[in-house]
Amino acid sequence: MNPYFTYILIAVALFSFTAIFALFAVYAERKVSAFIQDRLGPMETGVYGSLQTLADILKMLQKELIVPAAADKVLFVVAPVIIFVSVYMGFASLPWGPGLIPASLNLGVFYVFAIISVESVGILMAGWGSNNKYSLLGALRSVAQVVSYEIPAGIAIISAVMISQSLDLQVIATKQGILSTEGAKFLGLWDVSGVGGFLAWNVFQAPHLLLAYVIYFIASLAECNRAPFDIPEAESELVSGFHTEYTGIRFALIFLGEYSMMFLVGMFGVLLFLGGWNTPLPNIGSFTLADWTTGTGWGVFWIVAKVLLVVFVQMWLRWTLPRLRVDQLMNLCWKVLTPLAFLCMLISGVWQLLVM
Amino acid sequence: MNIEQIVFYFLSAVVLVSALLVVAMKNLVRSIFLFFLTLFSMAGLFVFALADFVAITQVVVYVGGVLVLMIFAFLLSNRDILNNPDAVKINGKFLTAHHLPGLVVSFLFFTALMFAFSQFQVDELEWIAASEGNTLSPSDNTIELLGINIMTRYLLPFETISVLLMLALIGAAHLARKERKI
Repeated sequence: MNPYFTYILIAVALFSFTAIFALFAVYAERKVSAFIQDRLGPMETGVYGSLQTLADILKMLQKELIVPAAADKVLFVVAPVIIFVSVYMGFASLPWGPGLIPASLNLGVFYVFAIISVESVGILMAGWGSNNKYSLLGALRSVAQVVSYEIPAGIAIISAVMISQSLDLQVIATKQGILSTEGAKFLGLWDVSGVGGFLAWNVFQAPHLLLAYVIYFIASLAECNRAPFDIPEAESELVSGFHTEYTGIRFALIFLGEYSMMFLVGMFGVLLFLGGWNTPLPNIGSFTLADWTTGTGWGVFWIVAKVLLVVFVQMWLRWTLPRLRVDQLMNLCWKVLTPLAFLCMLISGVWQLLVM
Repeated sequence: MNIEQIVFYFLSAVVLVSALLVVAMKNLVRSIFLFFLTLFSMAGLFVFALADFVAITQVVVYVGGVLVLMIFAFLLSNRDILNNPDAVKINGKFLTAHHLPGLVVSFLFFTALMFAFSQFQVDELEWIAASEGNTLSPSDNTIELLGINIMTRYLLPFETISVLLMLALIGAAHLARKERKI
Protein backbone atom coordinates (compact mmCIF):
# COMPACT_ATOMS: atom_id res chain seq x y z
CA MET A 1 0.00 0.00 0.00
CA ASN A 2 1.23 3.47 -0.84
CA PRO A 3 2.59 5.07 2.39
CA TYR A 4 0.99 8.43 1.56
CA PHE A 5 -2.38 6.71 1.45
CA THR A 6 -1.74 5.38 4.98
CA TYR A 7 -0.77 8.85 6.22
CA ILE A 8 -3.98 10.35 4.88
CA LEU A 9 -6.02 7.46 6.27
CA ILE A 10 -4.55 8.00 9.76
CA ALA A 11 -5.19 11.75 9.59
CA VAL A 12 -8.81 11.16 8.56
CA ALA A 13 -9.24 8.55 11.30
CA LEU A 14 -7.94 10.95 13.95
CA PHE A 15 -10.17 13.73 12.66
CA SER A 16 -13.27 11.55 12.72
CA PHE A 17 -12.33 10.38 16.19
CA THR A 18 -12.13 13.97 17.49
CA ALA A 19 -15.43 14.85 15.81
CA ILE A 20 -17.24 11.82 17.24
CA PHE A 21 -15.65 12.38 20.63
CA ALA A 22 -16.83 16.02 20.64
CA LEU A 23 -20.40 14.91 19.85
CA PHE A 24 -20.30 12.31 22.59
CA ALA A 25 -18.64 14.67 25.07
CA VAL A 26 -21.19 17.45 24.60
CA TYR A 27 -23.97 14.95 25.30
CA ALA A 28 -22.07 13.60 28.31
CA GLU A 29 -21.42 17.10 29.59
CA ARG A 30 -25.11 17.95 29.46
CA LYS A 31 -26.08 14.72 31.17
CA VAL A 32 -23.40 15.10 33.87
CA SER A 33 -24.40 18.70 34.55
CA ALA A 34 -28.03 17.63 34.68
CA PHE A 35 -27.25 14.88 37.16
CA ILE A 36 -25.22 17.23 39.37
CA GLN A 37 -27.95 19.88 39.32
CA ASP A 38 -30.70 17.29 39.84
CA ARG A 39 -32.28 17.75 36.41
CA LEU A 40 -32.90 15.35 33.56
CA GLY A 41 -30.96 17.03 30.76
CA PRO A 42 -31.87 16.42 27.12
CA MET A 43 -34.67 13.82 26.95
CA GLU A 44 -36.70 14.54 23.80
CA THR A 45 -34.54 13.52 20.81
CA GLY A 46 -33.82 9.80 20.67
CA VAL A 47 -33.68 7.46 23.65
CA TYR A 48 -32.75 9.54 26.73
CA GLY A 49 -31.89 12.41 24.38
CA SER A 50 -29.00 10.51 22.82
CA LEU A 51 -29.54 12.09 19.38
CA GLN A 52 -29.70 15.62 20.80
CA THR A 53 -26.12 16.64 19.91
CA LEU A 54 -26.46 15.11 16.45
CA ALA A 55 -29.52 17.28 15.88
CA ASP A 56 -27.62 20.28 17.27
CA ILE A 57 -24.71 19.81 14.90
CA LEU A 58 -27.06 19.36 11.93
CA LYS A 59 -28.73 22.63 12.85
CA MET A 60 -25.38 24.31 13.26
CA LEU A 61 -24.12 23.21 9.86
CA GLN A 62 -27.15 24.75 8.16
CA LYS A 63 -26.82 28.12 9.85
CA GLU A 64 -25.81 31.23 7.98
CA LEU A 65 -22.19 32.26 8.31
CA ILE A 66 -22.27 35.83 9.56
CA VAL A 67 -19.20 38.05 9.39
CA PRO A 68 -19.76 41.27 11.38
CA ALA A 69 -19.50 44.39 9.21
CA ALA A 70 -16.73 45.94 11.32
CA ALA A 71 -14.70 42.73 11.69
CA ASP A 72 -11.29 42.13 10.18
CA LYS A 73 -12.60 39.59 7.70
CA VAL A 74 -9.46 37.59 7.00
CA LEU A 75 -8.51 37.14 10.65
CA PHE A 76 -12.10 36.42 11.62
CA VAL A 77 -12.41 33.60 9.08
CA VAL A 78 -8.97 32.06 9.67
CA ALA A 79 -9.07 32.06 13.49
CA PRO A 80 -11.37 29.02 14.09
CA VAL A 81 -9.32 26.95 11.66
CA ILE A 82 -6.08 27.76 13.53
CA ILE A 83 -7.69 26.99 16.88
CA PHE A 84 -8.88 23.60 15.73
CA VAL A 85 -5.85 22.61 13.64
CA SER A 86 -3.40 23.42 16.45
CA VAL A 87 -5.25 21.07 18.79
CA TYR A 88 -5.68 18.42 16.11
CA MET A 89 -1.95 18.46 15.27
CA GLY A 90 -1.20 17.56 18.88
CA PHE A 91 -2.76 14.13 18.35
CA ALA A 92 -0.05 13.30 15.79
CA SER A 93 2.49 12.08 18.33
CA LEU A 94 0.33 10.47 21.02
CA PRO A 95 0.60 6.66 21.21
CA TRP A 96 -2.61 4.61 21.43
CA GLY A 97 -1.14 1.22 22.18
CA PRO A 98 2.04 -0.86 21.99
CA GLY A 99 3.42 -0.14 18.52
CA LEU A 100 0.42 2.01 17.64
CA ILE A 101 1.45 5.65 17.22
CA PRO A 102 0.65 8.00 14.32
CA ALA A 103 4.09 9.68 14.25
CA SER A 104 6.84 8.29 16.44
CA LEU A 105 8.89 11.35 17.40
CA ASN A 106 11.75 11.17 19.85
CA LEU A 107 10.67 14.63 21.01
CA GLY A 108 7.00 13.75 21.42
CA VAL A 109 6.49 15.43 24.81
CA PHE A 110 8.08 18.67 23.71
CA TYR A 111 6.13 18.64 20.44
CA VAL A 112 2.74 18.30 22.13
CA PHE A 113 3.65 21.01 24.62
CA ALA A 114 4.68 23.34 21.77
CA ILE A 115 1.69 22.73 19.60
CA ILE A 116 -0.77 23.40 22.43
CA SER A 117 0.67 26.89 22.81
CA VAL A 118 -0.18 27.71 19.19
CA GLU A 119 -3.85 27.71 20.11
CA SER A 120 -3.43 31.02 21.95
CA VAL A 121 -2.50 32.74 18.67
CA GLY A 122 -5.80 31.53 17.19
CA ILE A 123 -7.69 32.81 20.21
CA LEU A 124 -6.05 36.23 19.94
CA MET A 125 -6.85 36.26 16.24
CA ALA A 126 -10.50 35.51 16.95
CA GLY A 127 -10.69 38.16 19.65
CA TRP A 128 -9.11 40.88 17.56
CA GLY A 129 -10.81 39.88 14.30
CA SER A 130 -14.30 40.07 15.83
CA ASN A 131 -13.81 43.79 16.57
CA ASN A 132 -15.91 43.53 19.69
CA LYS A 133 -14.78 44.65 23.11
CA TYR A 134 -16.09 41.54 24.85
CA SER A 135 -14.29 39.29 22.39
CA LEU A 136 -11.07 41.24 22.78
CA LEU A 137 -11.25 41.15 26.57
CA GLY A 138 -12.02 37.45 26.49
CA ALA A 139 -9.08 36.76 24.19
CA LEU A 140 -6.71 38.82 26.37
CA ARG A 141 -7.81 37.02 29.51
CA SER A 142 -7.59 33.66 27.82
CA VAL A 143 -4.09 34.18 26.54
CA ALA A 144 -2.81 35.68 29.80
CA GLN A 145 -4.12 32.60 31.57
CA VAL A 146 -2.77 30.08 29.05
CA VAL A 147 0.68 31.66 29.02
CA SER A 148 0.87 31.75 32.82
CA TYR A 149 -0.31 28.19 33.38
CA GLU A 150 2.10 26.81 30.81
CA ILE A 151 4.86 27.29 33.38
CA PRO A 152 3.61 25.00 36.20
CA ALA A 153 2.35 22.53 33.58
CA GLY A 154 5.70 22.49 31.84
CA ILE A 155 7.66 21.98 35.05
CA ALA A 156 5.31 19.22 36.22
CA ILE A 157 5.82 17.52 32.85
CA ILE A 158 9.59 17.88 33.19
CA SER A 159 9.52 16.16 36.59
CA ALA A 160 7.77 13.18 34.99
CA VAL A 161 10.20 13.18 32.08
CA MET A 162 13.12 13.16 34.51
CA ILE A 163 11.80 9.95 36.03
CA SER A 164 11.20 8.34 32.63
CA GLN A 165 14.48 9.59 31.11
CA SER A 166 12.96 10.06 27.67
CA LEU A 167 10.98 12.58 25.62
CA ASP A 168 9.49 9.88 23.40
CA LEU A 169 5.90 9.31 24.52
CA GLN A 170 5.95 5.71 23.33
CA VAL A 171 9.05 4.97 25.44
CA ILE A 172 7.51 6.74 28.44
CA ALA A 173 4.36 4.64 28.11
CA THR A 174 6.27 1.40 27.65
CA LYS A 175 8.34 2.00 30.79
CA GLN A 176 5.22 1.97 32.95
CA GLY A 177 4.14 -1.62 32.49
CA ILE A 178 5.12 -5.23 31.98
CA LEU A 179 6.61 -4.51 28.54
CA SER A 180 9.34 -2.43 30.18
CA THR A 181 12.83 -3.78 29.53
CA GLU A 182 14.63 -1.72 32.16
CA GLY A 183 12.47 -2.70 35.10
CA ALA A 184 10.03 -0.55 37.03
CA LYS A 185 10.16 -0.07 40.76
CA PHE A 186 7.10 0.48 42.91
CA LEU A 187 7.95 3.43 45.22
CA GLY A 188 11.56 2.94 44.14
CA LEU A 189 11.86 -0.19 46.28
CA TRP A 190 10.09 -3.20 44.87
CA ASP A 191 10.80 -4.28 41.29
CA VAL A 192 7.39 -4.74 39.71
CA SER A 193 8.35 -5.11 36.04
CA GLY A 194 7.01 -8.66 36.15
CA VAL A 195 3.86 -7.71 38.04
CA GLY A 196 2.85 -4.63 36.08
CA GLY A 197 -0.58 -3.19 36.55
CA PHE A 198 -1.14 0.08 38.32
CA LEU A 199 1.91 -0.58 40.52
CA ALA A 200 4.24 0.26 37.65
CA TRP A 201 2.60 3.58 36.71
CA ASN A 202 4.74 6.68 37.02
CA VAL A 203 2.65 8.09 39.87
CA PHE A 204 3.32 4.93 41.88
CA GLN A 205 6.92 4.50 40.79
CA ALA A 206 7.71 7.89 42.29
CA PRO A 207 4.95 9.08 44.63
CA HIS A 208 5.77 12.80 44.35
CA LEU A 209 4.53 12.58 40.77
CA LEU A 210 1.04 12.31 42.24
CA LEU A 211 1.45 15.94 43.29
CA ALA A 212 2.95 16.74 39.88
CA TYR A 213 -0.08 15.17 38.23
CA VAL A 214 -2.47 17.27 40.29
CA ILE A 215 -0.52 20.40 39.31
CA TYR A 216 -0.57 19.34 35.67
CA PHE A 217 -4.30 18.58 35.85
CA ILE A 218 -5.15 22.00 37.32
CA ALA A 219 -2.96 23.77 34.77
CA SER A 220 -4.48 21.75 31.95
CA LEU A 221 -7.95 22.87 33.02
CA ALA A 222 -6.75 26.45 32.69
CA GLU A 223 -5.23 25.75 29.28
CA CYS A 224 -8.55 24.37 28.05
CA ASN A 225 -10.29 27.50 29.39
CA ARG A 226 -12.63 25.30 31.37
CA ALA A 227 -14.34 26.08 34.65
CA PRO A 228 -13.21 26.92 37.31
CA PHE A 229 -10.81 28.78 35.01
CA ASP A 230 -13.36 29.96 32.44
CA ILE A 231 -12.91 33.71 32.89
CA PRO A 232 -12.27 34.07 29.13
CA GLU A 233 -15.84 32.95 28.51
CA ALA A 234 -17.40 34.18 31.75
CA GLU A 235 -21.01 34.29 30.54
CA SER A 236 -22.09 36.75 33.19
CA GLU A 237 -19.41 39.29 32.29
CA LEU A 238 -18.32 38.81 28.69
CA VAL A 239 -21.33 37.18 26.92
CA SER A 240 -19.18 34.27 25.77
CA GLY A 241 -15.74 35.73 25.37
CA PHE A 242 -13.70 35.39 22.22
CA HIS A 243 -16.29 33.38 20.31
CA THR A 244 -19.21 35.75 20.83
CA GLU A 245 -19.46 36.70 17.15
CA TYR A 246 -19.10 33.25 15.63
CA THR A 247 -21.99 31.36 14.04
CA GLY A 248 -22.63 28.10 12.23
CA ILE A 249 -19.75 25.89 11.26
CA ARG A 250 -17.11 28.32 12.54
CA PHE A 251 -18.60 28.16 16.01
CA ALA A 252 -18.72 24.38 15.63
CA LEU A 253 -14.98 24.36 14.84
CA ILE A 254 -14.16 26.37 17.98
CA PHE A 255 -16.30 24.01 20.02
CA LEU A 256 -14.67 20.99 18.41
CA GLY A 257 -11.29 22.50 19.27
CA GLU A 258 -12.28 22.97 22.89
CA TYR A 259 -13.51 19.40 23.36
CA SER A 260 -10.58 17.88 21.45
CA MET A 261 -8.30 19.92 23.71
CA MET A 262 -9.96 18.31 26.75
CA PHE A 263 -9.19 14.88 25.33
CA LEU A 264 -5.68 15.88 24.25
CA VAL A 265 -4.55 17.26 27.61
CA GLY A 266 -6.23 14.34 29.39
CA MET A 267 -4.44 11.82 27.18
CA PHE A 268 -1.13 13.63 27.56
CA GLY A 269 -1.46 13.49 31.36
CA VAL A 270 -2.47 9.83 31.27
CA LEU A 271 0.56 8.97 29.12
CA LEU A 272 3.01 10.81 31.34
CA PHE A 273 1.66 9.94 34.77
CA LEU A 274 -1.06 7.30 34.74
CA GLY A 275 0.58 4.50 32.81
CA GLY A 276 -0.51 5.38 29.26
CA TRP A 277 -1.96 2.34 27.50
CA ASN A 278 -0.86 -0.04 30.25
CA THR A 279 -3.43 -2.11 32.05
CA PRO A 280 -4.30 -1.25 35.67
CA LEU A 281 -4.60 -4.96 36.55
CA PRO A 282 -1.45 -6.54 38.05
CA ASN A 283 -0.22 -10.11 37.75
CA ILE A 284 -1.20 -11.99 40.93
CA GLY A 285 0.46 -15.36 41.19
CA SER A 286 -0.90 -17.57 38.45
CA PHE A 287 -3.61 -15.05 37.60
CA THR A 288 -1.51 -13.16 35.05
CA LEU A 289 -4.13 -10.46 34.57
CA ALA A 290 -1.56 -7.98 33.23
CA ASP A 291 -0.33 -10.43 30.60
CA TRP A 292 -3.89 -11.22 29.52
CA THR A 293 -4.90 -7.60 29.20
CA THR A 294 -1.89 -6.21 27.32
CA GLY A 295 -1.92 -5.87 23.55
CA THR A 296 -2.73 -3.42 20.82
CA GLY A 297 -6.50 -3.70 21.16
CA TRP A 298 -6.35 -3.66 24.94
CA GLY A 299 -3.98 -0.68 24.78
CA VAL A 300 -6.51 1.38 22.86
CA PHE A 301 -9.23 0.28 25.26
CA TRP A 302 -7.27 1.17 28.40
CA ILE A 303 -6.09 4.53 27.21
CA VAL A 304 -9.53 5.58 26.00
CA ALA A 305 -11.07 4.38 29.26
CA LYS A 306 -8.54 6.29 31.36
CA VAL A 307 -8.86 9.47 29.33
CA LEU A 308 -12.66 9.34 29.46
CA LEU A 309 -12.40 9.06 33.23
CA VAL A 310 -10.16 12.15 33.30
CA VAL A 311 -12.59 14.00 31.02
CA PHE A 312 -15.40 13.03 33.37
CA VAL A 313 -13.47 14.56 36.28
CA GLN A 314 -12.99 17.72 34.22
CA MET A 315 -16.76 17.93 33.70
CA TRP A 316 -17.47 17.13 37.32
CA LEU A 317 -15.20 19.99 38.46
CA ARG A 318 -16.79 22.37 35.95
CA TRP A 319 -20.24 21.86 37.38
CA THR A 320 -19.32 21.89 41.06
CA LEU A 321 -16.74 24.67 41.47
CA PRO A 322 -17.35 28.42 41.16
CA ARG A 323 -15.26 30.53 38.80
CA LEU A 324 -11.98 32.04 40.07
CA ARG A 325 -11.40 35.78 39.89
CA VAL A 326 -8.47 37.03 37.78
CA ASP A 327 -6.26 37.86 40.78
CA GLN A 328 -7.07 34.56 42.50
CA LEU A 329 -6.22 32.81 39.26
CA MET A 330 -2.80 34.44 39.04
CA ASN A 331 -2.14 33.94 42.76
CA LEU A 332 -2.87 30.23 42.41
CA CYS A 333 -0.61 29.94 39.41
CA TRP A 334 2.42 31.90 40.57
CA LYS A 335 2.35 31.52 44.34
CA VAL A 336 1.08 27.96 44.75
CA LEU A 337 1.43 25.84 41.63
CA THR A 338 4.76 27.13 40.32
CA PRO A 339 6.74 26.68 43.59
CA LEU A 340 5.17 23.26 44.13
CA ALA A 341 6.08 22.26 40.58
CA PHE A 342 9.66 23.36 41.20
CA LEU A 343 9.66 21.27 44.36
CA CYS A 344 8.48 18.26 42.33
CA MET A 345 11.27 18.82 39.83
CA LEU A 346 13.81 18.97 42.65
CA ILE A 347 12.50 15.75 44.20
CA SER A 348 12.63 14.11 40.77
CA GLY A 349 16.29 14.97 40.45
CA VAL A 350 17.13 13.66 43.93
CA TRP A 351 14.99 10.57 43.31
CA GLN A 352 16.78 9.87 40.06
CA LEU A 353 20.17 10.11 41.78
CA LEU A 354 19.46 8.33 45.05
CA VAL A 355 16.60 5.89 44.56
CA MET A 356 16.61 4.68 40.97
CA MET B 1 11.37 16.07 -8.09
CA ASN B 2 10.35 14.06 -5.07
CA ILE B 3 7.84 15.08 -2.46
CA GLU B 4 10.48 16.28 0.05
CA GLN B 5 11.78 18.79 -2.47
CA ILE B 6 8.27 19.98 -3.28
CA VAL B 7 7.52 20.52 0.42
CA PHE B 8 10.88 22.23 0.95
CA TYR B 9 10.37 24.70 -1.91
CA PHE B 10 6.80 25.32 -0.84
CA LEU B 11 7.91 26.12 2.74
CA SER B 12 10.73 28.36 1.53
CA ALA B 13 8.34 30.22 -0.77
CA VAL B 14 5.91 30.71 2.12
CA VAL B 15 8.70 32.01 4.36
CA LEU B 16 9.96 34.49 1.77
CA VAL B 17 6.57 35.78 0.60
CA SER B 18 5.12 36.10 4.10
CA ALA B 19 8.29 37.80 5.40
CA LEU B 20 8.12 40.34 2.59
CA LEU B 21 4.44 40.92 3.27
CA VAL B 22 5.12 41.38 6.99
CA VAL B 23 7.36 44.30 6.15
CA ALA B 24 5.26 45.76 3.36
CA MET B 25 1.80 45.49 4.89
CA LYS B 26 0.09 48.64 6.15
CA ASN B 27 -2.20 46.87 8.58
CA LEU B 28 0.09 46.25 11.53
CA VAL B 29 -2.03 43.64 13.29
CA ARG B 30 -2.38 41.55 10.17
CA SER B 31 1.32 41.77 9.55
CA ILE B 32 1.99 40.46 13.06
CA PHE B 33 -0.32 37.52 12.41
CA LEU B 34 1.46 36.93 9.10
CA PHE B 35 4.70 36.82 11.08
CA PHE B 36 3.20 33.74 12.73
CA LEU B 37 3.10 32.09 9.30
CA THR B 38 6.73 33.04 8.66
CA LEU B 39 7.92 31.60 11.97
CA PHE B 40 5.89 28.44 11.57
CA SER B 41 7.23 27.74 8.08
CA MET B 42 10.72 28.45 9.41
CA ALA B 43 10.11 25.69 11.94
CA GLY B 44 9.21 23.44 9.01
CA LEU B 45 12.51 24.28 7.31
CA PHE B 46 14.38 23.43 10.51
CA VAL B 47 12.72 20.01 10.45
CA PHE B 48 14.11 19.53 6.95
CA ALA B 49 17.58 20.33 8.30
CA LEU B 50 17.03 17.46 10.81
CA ALA B 51 17.10 20.01 13.62
CA ASP B 52 13.80 18.93 15.11
CA PHE B 53 14.65 20.25 18.56
CA VAL B 54 15.36 23.70 17.14
CA ALA B 55 12.12 23.54 15.16
CA ILE B 56 10.00 22.79 18.22
CA THR B 57 11.87 25.36 20.31
CA GLN B 58 11.11 27.89 17.57
CA VAL B 59 7.42 27.13 17.97
CA VAL B 60 7.52 27.31 21.79
CA VAL B 61 9.64 30.44 22.10
CA TYR B 62 8.62 32.52 19.12
CA VAL B 63 5.03 31.47 18.47
CA GLY B 64 4.00 30.75 22.04
CA GLY B 65 6.04 33.50 23.68
CA VAL B 66 7.46 36.36 21.63
CA LEU B 67 4.64 36.57 19.09
CA VAL B 68 1.94 36.48 21.75
CA LEU B 69 3.72 39.26 23.65
CA MET B 70 3.97 41.36 20.47
CA ILE B 71 0.28 40.89 19.77
CA PHE B 72 -0.47 41.83 23.38
CA ALA B 73 1.46 45.06 22.98
CA PHE B 74 -0.53 45.86 19.85
CA LEU B 75 -3.88 44.98 21.30
CA LEU B 76 -3.30 47.22 24.30
CA SER B 77 -2.29 50.23 22.19
CA ASN B 78 -4.45 52.75 20.38
CA ARG B 79 -6.63 51.20 17.72
CA ASP B 80 -6.83 54.32 15.54
CA ILE B 81 -3.07 54.41 15.07
CA LEU B 82 -3.11 50.73 14.18
CA ASN B 83 -5.86 51.04 11.62
CA ASN B 84 -4.53 54.04 9.70
CA PRO B 85 -0.83 54.47 10.28
CA ASP B 86 -0.89 57.34 7.72
CA ALA B 87 -2.65 59.48 10.29
CA VAL B 88 0.62 59.77 12.15
CA LYS B 89 2.38 61.49 9.27
CA ILE B 90 6.12 61.79 9.53
CA ASN B 91 6.93 62.63 5.96
CA GLY B 92 5.56 61.01 2.86
CA LYS B 93 8.68 61.24 0.73
CA PHE B 94 11.26 58.46 0.59
CA LEU B 95 14.46 60.49 0.40
CA THR B 96 14.38 62.99 3.22
CA ALA B 97 16.73 64.04 5.98
CA HIS B 98 14.43 62.26 8.40
CA HIS B 99 15.05 58.93 6.73
CA LEU B 100 18.76 59.47 6.23
CA PRO B 101 20.12 57.48 9.23
CA GLY B 102 17.91 54.52 8.42
CA LEU B 103 18.94 54.59 4.77
CA VAL B 104 22.64 54.75 5.64
CA VAL B 105 22.42 51.89 8.12
CA SER B 106 20.44 49.64 5.80
CA PHE B 107 22.77 50.44 2.88
CA LEU B 108 25.86 49.63 4.97
CA PHE B 109 24.31 46.41 6.20
CA PHE B 110 23.37 45.45 2.66
CA THR B 111 26.93 46.15 1.44
CA ALA B 112 28.40 44.07 4.25
CA LEU B 113 26.08 41.20 3.44
CA MET B 114 26.86 41.39 -0.29
CA PHE B 115 30.59 41.48 0.45
CA ALA B 116 30.35 38.45 2.70
CA PHE B 117 28.28 36.65 0.09
CA SER B 118 30.80 37.36 -2.69
CA GLN B 119 33.73 36.20 -0.53
CA PHE B 120 31.99 33.09 0.70
CA GLN B 121 33.02 29.79 -0.83
CA VAL B 122 31.27 26.84 0.69
CA ASP B 123 33.60 24.12 -0.56
CA GLU B 124 36.78 25.65 0.82
CA LEU B 125 35.63 26.04 4.40
CA GLU B 126 37.69 23.78 6.60
CA TRP B 127 35.05 22.60 9.00
CA ILE B 128 32.66 21.75 6.19
CA ALA B 129 35.31 19.74 4.37
CA ALA B 130 36.22 17.99 7.61
CA SER B 131 32.65 17.05 8.39
CA GLU B 132 32.13 15.04 5.23
CA GLY B 133 30.62 11.68 6.06
CA ASN B 134 29.60 12.99 9.45
CA THR B 135 25.89 12.99 8.71
CA LEU B 136 22.67 12.50 10.62
CA SER B 137 19.81 10.27 9.65
CA PRO B 138 16.21 11.31 10.42
CA SER B 139 15.78 8.53 13.00
CA ASP B 140 18.82 9.61 15.06
CA ASN B 141 18.13 10.73 18.60
CA THR B 142 19.66 14.20 18.45
CA ILE B 143 18.27 15.31 21.78
CA GLU B 144 20.69 13.13 23.76
CA LEU B 145 23.70 14.57 21.93
CA LEU B 146 22.34 18.06 22.48
CA GLY B 147 21.82 17.52 26.17
CA ILE B 148 25.28 16.04 26.72
CA ASN B 149 26.95 18.82 24.73
CA ILE B 150 25.08 21.56 26.55
CA MET B 151 25.98 20.16 29.94
CA THR B 152 29.67 19.56 29.10
CA ARG B 153 31.21 21.49 26.24
CA TYR B 154 28.87 24.47 26.20
CA LEU B 155 28.16 24.66 29.91
CA LEU B 156 29.57 28.18 30.41
CA PRO B 157 27.51 29.86 27.64
CA PHE B 158 24.46 27.94 28.82
CA GLU B 159 24.85 29.11 32.42
CA THR B 160 25.61 32.68 31.31
CA ILE B 161 22.37 32.75 29.37
CA SER B 162 20.46 31.48 32.41
CA VAL B 163 21.95 34.29 34.52
CA LEU B 164 20.96 36.82 31.86
CA LEU B 165 17.40 35.50 31.81
CA MET B 166 17.29 35.61 35.60
CA LEU B 167 18.38 39.25 35.49
CA ALA B 168 15.64 40.04 32.97
CA LEU B 169 13.09 38.31 35.20
CA ILE B 170 14.16 40.24 38.30
CA GLY B 171 14.18 43.49 36.32
CA ALA B 172 10.67 42.87 35.03
CA ALA B 173 9.41 42.03 38.51
CA HIS B 174 11.03 45.21 39.86
CA LEU B 175 9.46 47.39 37.16
CA ALA B 176 6.02 45.90 37.69
CA ARG B 177 6.16 46.19 41.49
CA LYS B 178 4.09 48.73 43.35
CA GLU B 179 6.06 51.66 44.71
CA ARG B 180 6.33 51.33 48.44
CA LYS B 181 5.25 54.37 50.42
CA ILE B 182 8.00 55.74 52.61
